[in-house]
Amino acid sequence: MTSAVREFDRRVEPGLALVESAEKIARACHAMAARFHRGGKLLVFGNGGGATDAEHIAVEFVHPVVVGKIALPALSLAADPTVVTGIAAREGFAEVFAHQLRQLGDPADIALGVSSDGRCANVRRGLEQARELGLLTVALAGGDGGPLATSPAVDHLVVVPSDDPQVVKEMHVTTYHVLWELVHVFFEHPGVLTEIPGGHPRTPGPAVTP
Amino acid sequence: MRAEGVESLYPFLYAVDGDLEGVLAEVRRSTVEKATEIVALRRRLAEEQGERLAACAAEMAARFETGGRLLTFGNGGSSTDAADVAQLFLQPRQGRPLPAFCLGSGMAILTALSNDVGFDVVYARQVAAFGRAGDMVFGISTSGGSQNVLRAFEEAHRRGLLTVGMAGYEGGQMAESGLVDHLFVVPSASVHRIQEAQTTAYHVLWTLVQEALGPCAAPG
Repeated sequence: MTSAVREFDRRVEPGLALVESAEKIARACHAMAARFHRGGKLLVFGNGGGATDAEHIAVEFVHPVVVGKIALPALSLAADPTVVTGIAAREGFAEVFAHQLRQLGDPADIALGVSSDGRCANVRRGLEQARELGLLTVALAGGDGGPLATSPAVDHLVVVPSDDPQVVKEMHVTTYHVLWELVHVFFEHPGVLTEIPGGHPRTPGPAVTP
Repeated sequence: MRAEGVESLYPFLYAVDGDLEGVLAEVRRSTVEKATEIVALRRRLAEEQGERLAACAAEMAARFETGGRLLTFGNGGSSTDAADVAQLFLQPRQGRPLPAFCLGSGMAILTALSNDVGFDVVYARQVAAFGRAGDMVFGISTSGGSQNVLRAFEEAHRRGLLTVGMAGYEGGQMAESGLVDHLFVVPSASVHRIQEAQTTAYHVLWTLVQEALGPCAAPG
């Protein structure tokens, strides 16, 4: 077997594992659609390859490739080196997303963190800050999910069972393409968007605690 | 039996078009379909283009060995792929770091060229400014028809750079132009599946370049 074929082959199993995440993805899409329906926006963040995912997700929602789909507000918190390096130099790299979430986040928003091993400190801090502010929190991770797998700050978590960051990223690309597409499916059924007004199916965040 | 008075007070409990379980089942099915589709597409790519990826990687490795650099570009979602390719070559977790940069990352350069000249030249002008004959360009597009990507390939080809391209559908103008030395076309009609398969293809290309460069480079 040539190297190229071997490389493609080792993607088959993680690719099929996405099928196992269908229920989790469906629940996440439902909660995200409900937030957009309430006027929320999507704030996305990640490092390195995850930063390119954050920007890809932002453009996916703001400028849909499918004609006729509405533009939804989404912003990458990793896109502006001026902001990222400024906060990193002053407060430390772990705070680059949490700081922006404090200033730009509204309780109705969605925070989406991307980390190929679940071990990015700034992504975890971002999700914790977001949860504290009442945002819906979604994370895409890989491997065993790292600290994100057990964090009470994460409402919806999709983990790609692979330790290879490139393979994880590839499955993440499919995951967020599907997230985008299925959010729009929920928009075609507005009746189901008001059933979870708080948007925290697991534990209520501060903004929705009675 | 629902009391109509209660229903009007709490409409969210009785949403008329709100068959949540039905919609959830629909979206689950959709996820399964997409996951199955991309697995099949990757398999086809491996069979049809695996050998050509290895040949491209060997040529790229030879250029890196003699000081060549990799310049990457694309638009929209593909601009994030271009950025991912550049950062992967430049600062991999394992393997040899190699000189690569993304021509879509400098906002001042992009807006200056777009504002003063036009969007079609944003990458070509940078290829002209940075490109040396031993260098390589990697241009990525789903349609294969992005004018600024084609113009950059034209400039790179003229200057003797190695040109590597990825496209979707049937390759579009990228395939017709004859400007791309190594062109990989993902045979799909879905922008999303094309991007997903392209991501795998350039990751595999990176792995093969690392393998071609030497033993320290093999990723886990």
